[in-house]
Amino acid sequence: MAKEPILSAKDVEIQFSLRGKKLTAIRGCSLDLYEGETLAIVGESGSGKSVFTKTFVGMLDANGTITNGSIMFEGQDLAQYKTEADWLKIRGKKISMVMQDPMTSLNPLKKIGKQIEESIELHQGLKGEAAKKEAIEMLKKVGIPDPERRYNQYPHEFSGGMRQRVVIAIAVACHPQILICDEPTTALDVTIQAQILDLIRSLQSELGMTVIYITHDLGVVANVADRVAVMYAGQIVEYGLVNEIFYDAWHPYTWALLSALPQLGVKGEPLPSIEGTPPNLFNKIVGDAFAPRNKRALAIDFVKEPPFFNVTETHAAKTWYLDPRAPKIEQPGSIQRLRAKMENRG
Amino acid sequence: MAEREKLIEIKDLQITFGSGKKKFVAVDHVNFDIYKGETFSLVGESGSGKTTIGRAILRINPTSAGEILLKGKKINGKIDKETDLEVIRKCQMIFQDPMASLNERATVDYIISEGLINHHLYKDEKDRSAKVQAALREVGLLPEFASRFPHEFSGGQRQRIGIARALVMEPEFIVADEPISALDVSIRAQVLNLLNELKRERNLTYLFIAHDLSVVRFISDRIAVISKGRIVELAESEELFRHPLHPYTKALLSAVPQPDPELEKKKKLLVYDPSCHDYSVDKPVWEEILPGHFVYGNQKELDQYRKEVEDK
Repeated sequence: MAKEPILSAKDVEIQFSLRGKKLTAIRGCSLDLYEGETLAIVGESGSGKSVFTKTFVGMLDANGTITNGSIMFEGQDLAQYKTEADWLKIRGKKISMVMQDPMTSLNPLKKIGKQIEESIELHQGLKGEAAKKEAIEMLKKVGIPDPERRYNQYPHEFSGGMRQRVVIAIAVACHPQILICDEPTTALDVTIQAQILDLIRSLQSELGMTVIYITHDLGVVANVADRVAVMYAGQIVEYGLVNEIFYDAWHPYTWALLSALPQLGVKGEPLPSIEGTPPNLFNKIVGDAFAPRNKRALAIDFVKEPPFFNVTETHAAKTWYLDPRAPKIEQPGSIQRLRAKMENRG
Repeated sequence: MAEREKLIEIKDLQITFGSGKKKFVAVDHVNFDIYKGETFSLVGESGSGKTTIGRAILRINPTSAGEILLKGKKINGKIDKETDLEVIRKCQMIFQDPMASLNERATVDYIISEGLINHHLYKDEKDRSAKVQAALREVGLLPEFASRFPHEFSGGQRQRIGIARALVMEPEFIVADEPISALDVSIRAQVLNLLNELKRERNLTYLFIAHDLSVVRFISDRIAVISKGRIVELAESEELFRHPLHPYTKALLSAVPQPDPELEKKKKLLVYDPSCHDYSVDKPVWEEILPGHFVYGNQKELDQYRKEVEDK
């Protein structure tokens, strides 16, 4: 990975002020994004995965500020962007976003075609017929049959899966370099989910985009990602190539996420679940944030925050387990089984 | 299997909405039995009618033809008041979205005891609050949560309240309508474990409704796959995963995301095209291909399915 990252976030810290109190939602996240790859950011709700990526498009809520760190993109620091005018040069044009719920992210009062045109007119400077032609072309590209007729319809005439296709059409209408998909399939059926994932993948190779997936479902991650970053309590705790995360994870939180999947469960036995709740981010966190929920936590986990330890060149985990002084710890059964299965396949 | 007690029997069930020109048949010719103590799953995509069937058993949706029997007693259509009350008490439901299914303006105490109040199932105030607290404890919540309001809880906790509300009626049969699809992966495991535990302790029977086959495999004994209001395949859960026969089942299976990147990247997505069936001359039937494994198809398809089973 000697390639230059196209987007590079360093030590980003984000605070929200809520009722006079400060909440640190992102506590020093660093992330490099390489051109053409698909990166998945995984974590449970409240881990900060959405907040972190929203800063790439300047969509942080009004009470949130970036208090530290930098986000470098094309030689500019996005963390310093303040005005809407600045952001309009980036958002939608170079970096765009697909939201979770297709039911709420479209305007119910506007025709589908007009909503796609809006983005084309704003960023590509096309007008009238030309913009309309482009919008119909986009509808065709995302696999909507009979685009000329669909152009004149309203969102309520579309099913959930079709609406998500429209949202994707709007997001990629200006051929962005980076597409951020925030849980693009959670509101959808499994069969439709698989189709949408396929669509994003084919658009990605066609338009040469770099894609960031935000999801809590590791099954989806296995399908789409080249690299994975696992987030917990506002920090990235482990990152690596997708195979390294699935077959050789080291952070106890990644273990817990993997073992909790019903697909890996053994029938008749209870599924290993993550007890407790994520830490309160109003308070200062001492030590490893996951330690209170980790049954096999080490004493040092409660005292000192672990640094990143490299497993391979591309894979690192923020846990004391990897320290040479730590007692030898075995990976849990479900991960060993997963690896054994992979090795048996050869 | 024949000796096992049938708790619910569904015979030629048909459910329609609207009338006259606007009539829409949502569920048609549905036949299945649910044995006591098992988890029976209905799987299909949205709009396939799986929730409608669940609601029909609980007498929420009226049926237009066919029979639903609870322990041999008819419970659909016109029944006397006593049976009606019995059904309400013995069959409970857990809803999909814990954010929408709890009354925001009522305390947890009231939410859980509403059924008790309606059916006068408690001796005095003390007995009622004892029952509420026991139910809360059983689903892993603290008894002092009773005085709080739903907005004070997280999604997983809310779903537990929904389960407690069902449990307090001491039901025999629970319809769980996608109880975990609105939850985070880590919380899903907790709720699935809870449902399994309760089933063991209370000898409950579940009708589990879901669109995700991966979850269903873990929890259920038998699975029925439903498409467009018709059950197309029914089998024991391991059998269904080993020998999926109907093309719709295969499509559903191929869509399940596997947490295994190497398998997943090689995967070929199957898409179900209903026009692959030619039922114009050769009429389809509901047939038992292997013991306990039923498929819906016409003679030509059934022959092909049999061949597939033998080849494996």
